[in-house]
Amino acid sequence: MRKRRSSGQLDLVYGALDILILRTLVWGPTHGHGIAKSIERLSEDALKVEHGSLYPALQRLLQEGWIKASWGISDNNQRAKFYRLTPAGKRKLIDETSRWDRFVSAVTGVLRPAESEES
Amino acid sequence: MGLRRTFSKLRALMHSKVNDLAEEIQSHLAMEEADNLALGMSLEEARIAAKQRFGNITLTQERTRDMWTWTTLELLKMDSLYGIRQLRRSPGFASVAILTLALGIGANTAIFSIVNAVLLQPLPFAAPDRLVSGFETESAPGQYPVNQADYLDWQARNHSFDSTSGYSWSRPYSMGGKGEAAVATATEVQANFFETLGIAPALGRAFGHGEDSSGNNHVAVLSFGFWKSQFGGDRSIIGKTLTLDAERHTVIGVMPPTFHYPSGNDVWIPFNMQDKAFSQRGNHGIRVLGRMKPGVTLEQARKDLLNISLQLEKQFPDGNTNVHAGLLPLKDQLVGDSKHRLLVLLCAVGLVLLISCVNVANLLLSRAAGRQREIALRASLGAGRFRLVLQLITESLLLSITGAAIGIAGAWWLLRLLDSVTTAFVPHLNPVGIDARVLLFTLLLSVVSALLSGLAPALQVSRANVNDSLKAGAQAVVGLAGSRQTLRDVLVLSEIGITLALLVGAGLLLRSFVKLGTANIGINPDKLLTVNISLPDASYPAFPDRRRFFDALAQRVKHIPGIKQVAISSEIPLEGGSSTYIVVDGNSDPALANNLLGFNYVTPGYFDTFCIPLLRGRRLNASDYEHDGIAAQRANQISQAAGNQSPKMPPDVTYHAVIGQTAARVFWKGKDPLGHTFHWGGVPVVIVGIVQDVKEYGLRAEPSPQAYFPFSISQAFGGGSELILRTSVPPALIVPELRRAVQGLDPGLALLHPRTMQDVIGDQTEDTRMQTLLLGAFAVLALILSAVGLYGVMSYTVTQRTREIGIRMAIGASAGDVLRMILMHGLRLTLGGIAFGLLLSFALTLSITSLLFGTSPFDPVVFLGVATLLAVITTIAFLIPARRATIIDPTQALRAD
Repeated sequence: MRKRRSSGQLDLVYGALDILILRTLVWGPTHGHGIAKSIERLSEDALKVEHGSLYPALQRLLQEGWIKASWGISDNNQRAKFYRLTPAGKRKLIDETSRWDRFVSAVTGVLRPAESEES
Repeated sequence: MGLRRTFSKLRALMHSKVNDLAEEIQSHLAMEEADNLALGMSLEEARIAAKQRFGNITLTQERTRDMWTWTTLELLKMDSLYGIRQLRRSPGFASVAILTLALGIGANTAIFSIVNAVLLQPLPFAAPDRLVSGFETESAPGQYPVNQADYLDWQARNHSFDSTSGYSWSRPYSMGGKGEAAVATATEVQANFFETLGIAPALGRAFGHGEDSSGNNHVAVLSFGFWKSQFGGDRSIIGKTLTLDAERHTVIGVMPPTFHYPSGNDVWIPFNMQDKAFSQRGNHGIRVLGRMKPGVTLEQARKDLLNISLQLEKQFPDGNTNVHAGLLPLKDQLVGDSKHRLLVLLCAVGLVLLISCVNVANLLLSRAAGRQREIALRASLGAGRFRLVLQLITESLLLSITGAAIGIAGAWWLLRLLDSVTTAFVPHLNPVGIDARVLLFTLLLSVVSALLSGLAPALQVSRANVNDSLKAGAQAVVGLAGSRQTLRDVLVLSEIGITLALLVGAGLLLRSFVKLGTANIGINPDKLLTVNISLPDASYPAFPDRRRFFDALAQRVKHIPGIKQVAISSEIPLEGGSSTYIVVDGNSDPALANNLLGFNYVTPGYFDTFCIPLLRGRRLNASDYEHDGIAAQRANQISQAAGNQSPKMPPDVTYHAVIGQTAARVFWKGKDPLGHTFHWGGVPVVIVGIVQDVKEYGLRAEPSPQAYFPFSISQAFGGGSELILRTSVPPALIVPELRRAVQGLDPGLALLHPRTMQDVIGDQTEDTRMQTLLLGAFAVLALILSAVGLYGVMSYTVTQRTREIGIRMAIGASAGDVLRMILMHGLRLTLGGIAFGLLLSFALTLSITSLLFGTSPFDPVVFLGVATLLAVITTIAFLIPARRATIIDPTQALRAD
């Protein structure tokens, strides 16, 4: 199910959504909608998450024990399910962040010479 | 109903999780809408934009639900509850399947409990892995008990053992004390016997160091059971006196209730280690057990003892030439050949379980047809094939675990029923019971059974094409029904085959049992009573005392009404006895040194009493009896005076003997031995007659060389004896009168072990009888199960083919044609099964060759008989449903479905 997207928006690398969710929850518990908005805001709208795709990911993170969920009331007085980071989730985030950094630098290392040759 | 409540709870849980997600998504959309409204969109625009931003809601829900991994326990619970509901809907099917599995699993649990106690559990002693049993080998093949003097050298010279202990064979003793003499089974042991086994008494103390020496050995330790039955568990027994064969022993201890070694023993008394038997080489008199030092291997200990026996061979060439030490783990020695018997039974019950599983698999297959639509529906609702198979296997598990529970109860009951006979069947020191290991085994079996019975049907059912099944009625699914029919046929065929193999095994054993019971022993065993009489050395110290007693006994017994003939001997046929090497005069062939001559001391009436035919020469007579008694006394005196040497005997010391025909053949090789002599222990023996062979060493043993000496020789040396009576009335009627006669002569003597010769034969056939009984029971069980299985399949086939049969009859097929069609199907299965079974039997019966007697493992009578029996029973099983097919009304059949 691929959605059309405007230029400058990026598809998420598999697994990246998990890290983004975990990262978002560092600021405190929030609901699915809040997570979606945070990701868009933080990436300055570069990453457009189809909101629906959050829910399977949240379910996966719940199952792994990295986040916990409980029903609460949102800012605009709406009943909503709030997710928060567990200690295991924090550890996972730290691991994944450093792994991501290594991944990015490795990919960049491969790509940069090619870019300079082209230009 | 608690079950229903649990189920609805579970359903509620499922629902709440689904609703939860829906609500969460709704709340998400509401928030997005609110944001959009704040951006200035209209209500309608805001809602559409929110939905667009969210994406496909149904897909999201599905994907999220995919992420819900139920824990295994949750799944099992759900499947179980579903399964229970399904089974409750068809109680007939469920109870037949459960009962079938209960029979198969129960039989396995029962036999495994015995295997567990006999083969798997360690011996109930401290560090039992270090316990070994010693024996000696000889020029003649075989494993022999240990010579007492050799044993003392083993004990003194070895480097491998923490301790070693000698002990005798248990034998009945006359127990004096209050009132009439009773019988106690006692074993003589070295003082360190209990210490070597690592068992302490429950009450009092064990034998102390030196209590096995002359004068100090009048102490006794009682078994727990004996203490309870004879002394009512009186704790003040310690210090009291127990009289065994006229010797007084002070009771010093009582063993714990779990200690039964040697099994059936009542009292342990110490040896007198200074007895002259412990200084003479050449005989094999005692059993030996040893506890190896920690870290010493069996091989090292074996080498150690072998070296010692090689030294002894050099040191004492007279008595020890070719006498070598051997070792076995004590457990192996105790288990003996019962291991093989048990494994055969275990295989048999395994096969019965296989048949049970096949039957249940067939039932499941038949049932699957009715569930085709239900399963297709589940598949169309998104259940993967794996989930479907898992669900169906869970149902099988429910069946097999319920079956196992019933089976365990049945096994418990069966073991209680068999309790008294298992001891005779397989010697065991651990109690046979259902312990954790047995339960674990049973649990494992039920899982295996569930997989065996459930996997093939589950795979096949779940393979079904969803569309076909939903669209059509079950009967229209021709292709599927066809392949399922083939599987069902294969299952029934293998079931018949396995049954045949089991029946053949049971048949072969039955034939062996019959042959054993009617085997020619060389005597007439009818109306023969034998009683063991053991004269205590204390009250009968010398030849004249013993002579007087036996003469008086013979006189008294002769006058008891109903007694026709009386004899006394040192041994009775079938139960073995002593044997010796002899020097055949005039034949220096060294190969003769490899043959043992068994011998037995008998009164002149022995041959007539047992009806042993004389072939040549004459029987022993009264003058041989007189002469040899005096000669034996002199020989005894001379050898005692000579001490350890083998003295030269004066020429008038001679014996007389009658020999068996095998002895004549082995030692004299076709020459006439009559009037010839051989030397035995330095004394020349004249052969006066040859009698027909008697099986002295057991029903299964081939006749071996045997000699019969006058019983008066035994009176000179002392030793046990058997009183043998040929009666004209049932032997049991004689026993009270006989007891009066014996106790009239000596009130301290008990009638030890009165048995008829038929009892003796019965003792020897007991193991085969039990094996036959058990294997027969399992084979019959298999037969019933596979007949039911075949019946089920044929009935089902007829039902399935009702429409086809209807069409055939409508277009002119006669009832006979239909019958023929069904019969051919049944016959194909039966004959195929029998062919498979014959092949299987040929492969399997070889493994029970050693359990058979006088029966070839390919005995044609058994093979043909069993195949015919099976053919008849299976034919009946498929005739009934076939008959039903012929009365199908075509119009009704076509209208059906």
